[in-house]
Amino acid sequence: MRILLMGHPNVGKSAVFNRLTGARVTESNYPGTTVDYTKGRVRIEGDSFEIIDVPGAFSLEPKDKAEEVAVKMLEENKEAVAICVIDASKMERGLYLALQVIEKGYPVVIALNMWDVAQDKNIEIDVKELEDILTVPVVPVTAISGEGIRELALRIKEASLVKIEKIIEKAGN
Amino acid sequence: MLDVEQRWELIDKIAKRTIKFGKYRHTLQDAIAEITVKPLTGIPIAIAVLYGFWAFFVAFARFSTDGFLVKLFDMHWLPWLQEVFPAGKESWLYYIFVGDPLAENCFEAFGMLTSGLFVVIGVVLPAIVAFYLVLIVLEDSGYLPRLAVLIDTVLHKIGLHGYAIVPSILSLGCNVPACTACRILETKKQRFIMRTILAIFIPCGAQLGIMLKVIPETVGWVILYLLAGYFILGFILSRIVPGESPELLLDIPSYQRPTFSNVGRKLWVRTSSFFTTAIPFVLLGVIIINVLHLTGVIDWLATGLGPLLSGWFGVPKETVGALIVAFLRKDLAVAQLSAIEMTKYQMVTSVVLVSIYFPCIATFVMLLKEGGVKGFLGSLAALVATVFLYGGLLHLIWILLGVA
Repeated sequence: MRILLMGHPNVGKSAVFNRLTGARVTESNYPGTTVDYTKGRVRIEGDSFEIIDVPGAFSLEPKDKAEEVAVKMLEENKEAVAICVIDASKMERGLYLALQVIEKGYPVVIALNMWDVAQDKNIEIDVKELEDILTVPVVPVTAISGEGIRELALRIKEASLVKIEKIIEKAGN
Repeated sequence: MLDVEQRWELIDKIAKRTIKFGKYRHTLQDAIAEITVKPLTGIPIAIAVLYGFWAFFVAFARFSTDGFLVKLFDMHWLPWLQEVFPAGKESWLYYIFVGDPLAENCFEAFGMLTSGLFVVIGVVLPAIVAFYLVLIVLEDSGYLPRLAVLIDTVLHKIGLHGYAIVPSILSLGCNVPACTACRILETKKQRFIMRTILAIFIPCGAQLGIMLKVIPETVGWVILYLLAGYFILGFILSRIVPGESPELLLDIPSYQRPTFSNVGRKLWVRTSSFFTTAIPFVLLGVIIINVLHLTGVIDWLATGLGPLLSGWFGVPKETVGALIVAFLRKDLAVAQLSAIEMTKYQMVTSVVLVSIYFPCIATFVMLLKEGGVKGFLGSLAALVATVFLYGGLLHLIWILLGVA
């Protein structure tokens, strides 16, 4: 099984990648640090998976070369599981890409990264409720310190396909 | 599939049920975020930050090189090597590895184990470490995107936008990753302009380090001349290259305190990759140039190209050796210039020529990889024209000033 790390630019995909794999991909605080993909391996409960750090993209309609790489990675890996990394302090924006990936028919796990920043800003996110609506695992993570990474890894196997209609129905109630 | 509106509508519903925004306090961080991006306060701060960057770089590099490493190399390493090297002083092996047996410092000797190692470890390594240390702090703090916003208007004049500051600054470390970083620009035109002007005009960290050592008094002028070239060529290319130059749409991240572990890790990764890519090229460069000297190829080229070099560019014909080395490593080429007898002005011209004439081979490969054959040939054409016109212009300036 392959795992793709998808998300907006500068939400911490490379930080999550380094935490999961022990690799040394460059992490910086500006959008567009990663412009090409990097492969690594992660061991979860004895099984080894290939994981790819994908360049950031705002949506699946590419606007620059780095986003083209991201969309291409997604299309070339139809069987992959996607970890959608979202900046927890700007959750709505991140959900846009996550929903697009779900609609495209990929099993998804959501990592709400920069959880510490969201808490500092007094943003409260009801993770249980979000999980219930989306019916995919949602894990709060602070990749820079490593908090939540273990849970994220353990829950990758819970990722499953969801029909967008089901999400609409659940959100409506 | 949902359309854009339906998707946002759904997100709205989800957000209403899952997110609660608490009372938000205006923090010190927000205040800093504001003053560094508003032009009135932001521009002076940007100038101070960049000046601080340069000052730290210079101080750190000089302290390590002049205060410590020069002594180590010139007073211990060189005499020791001259003493114990097994081959005779007249042999070609001695010439290649140790160089001039009468040399009193590692710059003049020009052997692989003397000048080669001195350039890499004695001069360039401290410069690279100092440069990356500050760059990494800038990267991790989140300051770069703010710099991008401040400089946006200026960069629009050359067909780019503010975010082009990111590949430009990365390029001051090494042109190779900077070429890849051009991918964050939206159009082919922007990426072409950016790659071309950074490969021609932006000196890399290794070159900056050696320039500080070889031409400490005039390095500022060289950098100004290169910077002016960056804008002039960018302006011309933005007028003649077809394509679009869209506006800057940029997400500014919040400031973050750089963590020791990440700064340390990045510094280590970049310094070690400098070591593995630079050392073989520098050592190889010294060997090649010494072999070319021994076989008389350099003399032959110097005589052949002499009229062009002295007539058009106003530099001594001996600089031909440095220009050959520049293809492998710019730092080594500048080091080689220091051994050639010439005036201060000729030195400035030579250093500028070494900078703008062919990018090092690693950057060359990146231009081809990122630009494709067409983009590569375009960059090459711009480069050849630039070398002759902009390099020759400097000679003209010296003539007009009466110092040529």
